[in-house]
Amino acid sequence: MPGRPFLRALAVLAALACLPVHAADQLHLYNWNNYIAPETVKRFEATCKCEVVQTYYSDNEELLAKLAAGATGYDVLVPTSNAVEALIRGGQLKPLDKSKLPNIRNVDPAYLNTPFDPGNQYSVPYAMSTTIIGYNEEKIKELGLPTDTWAVIFDPKYLQKVKGRVTVLDSANELFAAALKYLGYSANDIDEKHWREAVDVIKKAKPYWAAFNASSYIKELTVGNIWLVHGYSNDIFQANQDAQAAGRKFHILQGIPKEGAVLAVDNMVIHKSAPRPDLALMFINFMLDGRNSAELTNLIGSGNPNLDARKYIKPELLKYPAIFPPKELQSKLEQLKDLTPAQRRLRSRLWTEIKAGR
Amino acid sequence: MRKRNYWLWVAAIGGYLFLYLPLVIVIVYSFNDSRLNAEWVGFTLDWYRRLFQDEAMLTAAGNSLFIGLVASLVSTVLGTMAGMAMHRRSTVLLSVLVLTPIAIPEILMGVSLLIFFVLLNFTLGLASVALAHIAFCIGFVAIVVRARLAGMDEALLEAARDCGASPAQAFRHVTLPLIMPGVVAGALMAFTLSIDDFVITFFTAGAGTVTLPLQIYSMIKIAVTPEVNAVSTLLMLLTLLLIVIASRLSPSMLRAQQE
Amino acid sequence: MRPGAGAPAREAQRNRWLVGGPPVAYLLVFFAAPALIMVLASFRIPGEFGGLAPLFDPAGEVNLTLEAYTRFFTDPVYAEVFLKSVLYALVTTLACLALGYPLAALIARSGKRHRDLLLLLVILPFWSNFLIRIYAWMILLGPQAALARTVNAIAASFGAGPVPLLFSPFAVLVCLVYVHLPFMVLPLYANLEKHDPALLDAARDLGAGGWQRFWRVTFPLSLPGVYAGAALVFIPALGIFAIPDILGGPDDTLIGNLIKQQFLETRDWPFGSVLSIVLTVAALALAALAAWVGRRGVGRGVRA
Repeated sequence: MPGRPFLRALAVLAALACLPVHAADQLHLYNWNNYIAPETVKRFEATCKCEVVQTYYSDNEELLAKLAAGATGYDVLVPTSNAVEALIRGGQLKPLDKSKLPNIRNVDPAYLNTPFDPGNQYSVPYAMSTTIIGYNEEKIKELGLPTDTWAVIFDPKYLQKVKGRVTVLDSANELFAAALKYLGYSANDIDEKHWREAVDVIKKAKPYWAAFNASSYIKELTVGNIWLVHGYSNDIFQANQDAQAAGRKFHILQGIPKEGAVLAVDNMVIHKSAPRPDLALMFINFMLDGRNSAELTNLIGSGNPNLDARKYIKPELLKYPAIFPPKELQSKLEQLKDLTPAQRRLRSRLWTEIKAGR
Repeated sequence: MRKRNYWLWVAAIGGYLFLYLPLVIVIVYSFNDSRLNAEWVGFTLDWYRRLFQDEAMLTAAGNSLFIGLVASLVSTVLGTMAGMAMHRRSTVLLSVLVLTPIAIPEILMGVSLLIFFVLLNFTLGLASVALAHIAFCIGFVAIVVRARLAGMDEALLEAARDCGASPAQAFRHVTLPLIMPGVVAGALMAFTLSIDDFVITFFTAGAGTVTLPLQIYSMIKIAVTPEVNAVSTLLMLLTLLLIVIASRLSPSMLRAQQE
Repeated sequence: MRPGAGAPAREAQRNRWLVGGPPVAYLLVFFAAPALIMVLASFRIPGEFGGLAPLFDPAGEVNLTLEAYTRFFTDPVYAEVFLKSVLYALVTTLACLALGYPLAALIARSGKRHRDLLLLLVILPFWSNFLIRIYAWMILLGPQAALARTVNAIAASFGAGPVPLLFSPFAVLVCLVYVHLPFMVLPLYANLEKHDPALLDAARDLGAGGWQRFWRVTFPLSLPGVYAGAALVFIPALGIFAIPDILGGPDDTLIGNLIKQQFLETRDWPFGSVLSIVLTVAALALAALAAWVGRRGVGRGVRA
């Protein structure tokens, strides 16, 4: 039969693929894509004389689902605060050996000692973003719409001017948080009555929205198909960079709603099954150094809880309130708390109702 | 008769246009001087240059190709056997086992395979991904092969056996050539499914395993840059080349035998 | 030298095991076993922080419940989303059939030299990555592209407002058809390829016109291919989530999206399993129904 030697070779290759990879000196980093500058990785690899093996996820819940099903082999993870809460309470993390993390003193104390991880036993802050409004400066100014309130996303009297040109995030947690803030409640409010009010607000605004979109909205904003988005500060910053690079005549700006917004702090943690916790601690300490931490901010416009990093960050970035919120704003920003199963179920049911178009 | 062929040609050309219009955009935009896949800005070869320096992307592409070849090969063999068994005498067990992987939502299958591998203490890696891919590809091959066998002239098989051929010989010289277009069609589908799978691969991949879809989908929230267009274009060309070479080396494999 | 009376039957039995055995064994291990884990999961309770709660609670009692099932069957919203998904999948299948049949027929009728190439050309686009193909459609359907501009110009001439092509059911359907087309073309081709042209010649000699030849000869003979293609399009299309996620409108949520949500944001694996099981059973039932109808139809067609 033709091809038999070919088949045999393939079988050998397949068998080789089953062999466990020789540990060598590898740090397995499970991170968001483009959430660490390539130069930083190379510098760390030179420092530790090891190899950083990166794999990616694009959603906290993907990370949580994979770990809940029992996946192992990861050293460092970079979950957002509510996911850290779930991981800590689920017993999935290894406590940090602070004696190996001298650079932790660089972190702004406002971001340490959080309610979900008192004393930073398991996590240290890495980078941040806020969930705000992004808009096409030219179009929105033309239409005379406000950019400092959630009303522009939820109030039909403003929405009718931008019908079909608005997207919101496809995330129940983020959209409920924005609606609750708009209504004057806390983003972490768990009163069912308030949630139903939020649902009504969302349903009234939905006909004017083009889509629930968490993935391609930045592209559409940059190109000019979409004029107003509910999105992440990093993405909106990036959209403006891309728009200028493409030579567009408009700017894409960040609008911080006066009612407040969600602050998402991503943290470095070590998984309980980490094959190389020593390398993991070395990496975390390395990333807590100001210069290394600043590289990500300079790359993607992410917020930075590291005070030592300020002197390495491009000065113009320090002026963005959405990236480096001033004191008055900090009080209005809230980090999302994880929900209980019953609350998650209720929220999911309400979300289904919203999206099924009833 | 010429008139009917004309309509057939028009409809078929329309079909090819539908298939290729987006592909033309994919290829053209691989030369787009813009980070986003949204609008034409200018011509550049930069993305190809970047691709060849992007070890991660190249490794991912290599992994996808490898898994695709292994998965399509094994699932074609198993699927052809399943299709033949279904044709000869279909049991409920066989039909359910073959059809359900096609129906079951990928995320369920991904999570359940991960739990299963963890229970067995099976190290996740390329192998776990390949095993998962084979599982969901078998059904596609089986259904195509069975459709090909339906209405096939049993008399030919009988004749082969009456001439003293063993079942193995009858298969190799009579059945296999006759079902070959079905087998090839099934193999092509299996390969396509494997190199583009995301959800099941996400859950069954190991801590150091990256395939091309995993790499690309993780970029979805930032920007799927034209480097992805570049790697896709090259992957298509490479696969086309491989198939052309394979068909030159064993012409009898791809062509259906004329009776 | 004919063997004894019982031997051919035994040999046939053994051959059936040899042929059917390996795929069944493989699927039992790598599909049925994992799937059963999740079927069991549909009776369990979601974990406090995700995943599943332990099977045995601290008192040693088994933690099983029908709660997820009752929730599904008592809440009409899920049935609505299901029906919408069935509708989308049906439209996709019919469109794929209409578009794919001429393609498959053309390839099947081509000379041997061109046939392989034409077949490869059908599948080639699908070796590029799914995401950028969808992004290409976003460009084609975007408000600034030629298609949208033409449609809006026509709409404007009737006094209607601009019609959104992107982020709409239209965009979802176009991409659904695009993504599933090869899975209709390939099985159809595999079937059409073996049609004997002599049958068509005979029909023509008997005075049948072009359409009649197609409808009374070709189509009935191709029915197994049609059913195979329809199954390979309809069933996967039922569970799809990525396309509505990327370019659907605010109302375009299908059952696949709901299922994904249960496993991710909601961390309600039991409920996600229930939705999946219902989807799978519905898909298999519809496939069985179509096969039963098809078996009766084929008989009738062949007799004609």
